[in-house]
Amino acid sequence: MKSLRVGLIVLLTAVVVFGLLGPWLPVGSATAPAGRPFAPPGPGHPFGTDFLGRDMLARLADGGRMMLLQAIGATVAGSVVGISVGTLTGLSTTPVTRVMLRVVDGLSALPPLLVLLVLATGTPGNEVVVAVAIAAVSIPFSVRAVHAATRDVVRQPYVAIARARGDGPLRIVRYDVLPNILEVVGAEAGIRFIAAAQFAATAGFLGLGASAPAANWGRLVRENLPGLDLNPAALLVPAALLVALAVAVTAFVDRFAAGPATLARVVPR
Amino acid sequence: MSWLRFVAGRLAVGALTLVTLSLSVFWATEGLPGDVVGVLSGTDATAAERVRLRESLGLDRPAAQRYLDWVSGAARGDLGESLVTGRSVGDVLAERVTNSLGLVAIAITVIAVIAVTVGTLSGMRAGTRLDRFVSTGVGGLIALPDFLVAALLLTVFASVLRLVPGVSLVPVGDTPWQHPQVLVLPVVSLVIGGLGAATRLLRASIIPVAAGPYVEQARLNGARGIGLALRHVLPNAAGPAVQALAVMTAGLVGGSIVVETLFTFPGVGHELSQAVASRDVTMVQGLALALGAVTLVVLLAGDLAARALDPTTRRSVPR
Repeated sequence: MKSLRVGLIVLLTAVVVFGLLGPWLPVGSATAPAGRPFAPPGPGHPFGTDFLGRDMLARLADGGRMMLLQAIGATVAGSVVGISVGTLTGLSTTPVTRVMLRVVDGLSALPPLLVLLVLATGTPGNEVVVAVAIAAVSIPFSVRAVHAATRDVVRQPYVAIARARGDGPLRIVRYDVLPNILEVVGAEAGIRFIAAAQFAATAGFLGLGASAPAANWGRLVRENLPGLDLNPAALLVPAALLVALAVAVTAFVDRFAAGPATLARVVPR
Repeated sequence: MSWLRFVAGRLAVGALTLVTLSLSVFWATEGLPGDVVGVLSGTDATAAERVRLRESLGLDRPAAQRYLDWVSGAARGDLGESLVTGRSVGDVLAERVTNSLGLVAIAITVIAVIAVTVGTLSGMRAGTRLDRFVSTGVGGLIALPDFLVAALLLTVFASVLRLVPGVSLVPVGDTPWQHPQVLVLPVVSLVIGGLGAATRLLRASIIPVAAGPYVEQARLNGARGIGLALRHVLPNAAGPAVQALAVMTAGLVGGSIVVETLFTFPGVGHELSQAVASRDVTMVQGLALALGAVTLVVLLAGDLAARALDPTTRRSVPR
């Protein structure tokens, strides 16, 4: 168990560090041709070349950062909104909070990919818009998870005591609610991070965000699909990086944070 | 009476969401700084040409008026014409929608059968080794992006094993149903993409029922195995289970966009991603509105079915 835990942490750190620091690594140019298209792995090109003959290692090193930053930014934004709206609506039921929850429910009914595609049509070639779209579709789940966790805490006697003492809502959130929902908030943020990274990769796969030669790991999969027979590494390595990221974060969330059962209720996908 | 109020309430919320959806689609595609005219006319158009194009597209009118025109047109079934090909959006939709619906319907049927079986098995034995195994596998399935599943399937079955075609090549005039081999990979991709979430939701709706007092009573009366599942557990879990499948179906709308694009399957999702790539704003608006509306209808149907199947509300109705 211990070795598995260490292994997961190492894997996760390695993928994230490679992704974030990749553009600074001394692996050569990600845009200049380095050989013939779809050359198999060989000396100088550990993963071969891509569909235009560019070094695959350099392409991989270049393609992770924007995607990870989009996922991290969207996750943080989602958590900030989720915690503020979720605790507020969980603490007191007024007509205003009820309307807020209805709006959140309505938002969550929209297919996330549709939101992404529509926003990307209005503002083509923009990576920030992709991050905004990812944040927008993940906020409803964050709000619901935090809301449900807050409702559970608010029923506790110590919150009644705090209220009787005259504590204001902010004080109750800070000292009574937040410390008790941190686990759920963390696990929920982890699940949203996986979804956000998937969306960022899917956006690249569908050709949204900055135009070529920029390519995140998702777009690398798409670009190099035709050369499957010549250089499978060009497709399988970016795929493996995405799988490693998803699996490591999932296992991390399952093992170290709140039970997934509570989250299954509120975060279907 | 309570039924009537429930349905009316859900319809009102659905209609409100649809209006919000149409507003967001319109605002996002036409109200944002990225101007349709700039995209369509290219970089070397003169100012006069831009003005002419703007007038010919009717973009010189106020946004509110254009929105109202678009929405009232959509309500009558007229979604305008493609900016690129000039074809009516409604015609494209009508031509593609049956392909997409058919694809998703096959996938949902397969998912429902597997998810109900595995979810019931796992949920009735919550906490056992089998359940932990299923939960881990489900977590892994959910963590995989749809496009990756589809790309890996394509790698294995179309390229390495050469069992099925990797591209849904359908001769002009034919429907995909006349060439069932092109359906295999898209359906399997959608099934794998939706199965994880569906099984998790099914398991979650079985667990509280399987732990309930009436199931305990049935167990004490000697019911067990399949009989227990079919007669006592599933009927009581049917409401939330159907709702879970509806949520998953709505999720498949997104999955089908990716899968259809990858396999060039002639459906609405493929048409939509092509329209996005060619900045065909009218087409994106129309298809997005249609897909959003379909999603809302599915969720609404799920809500109604869940309520109809819930034994506690069913009993209260005749009174």
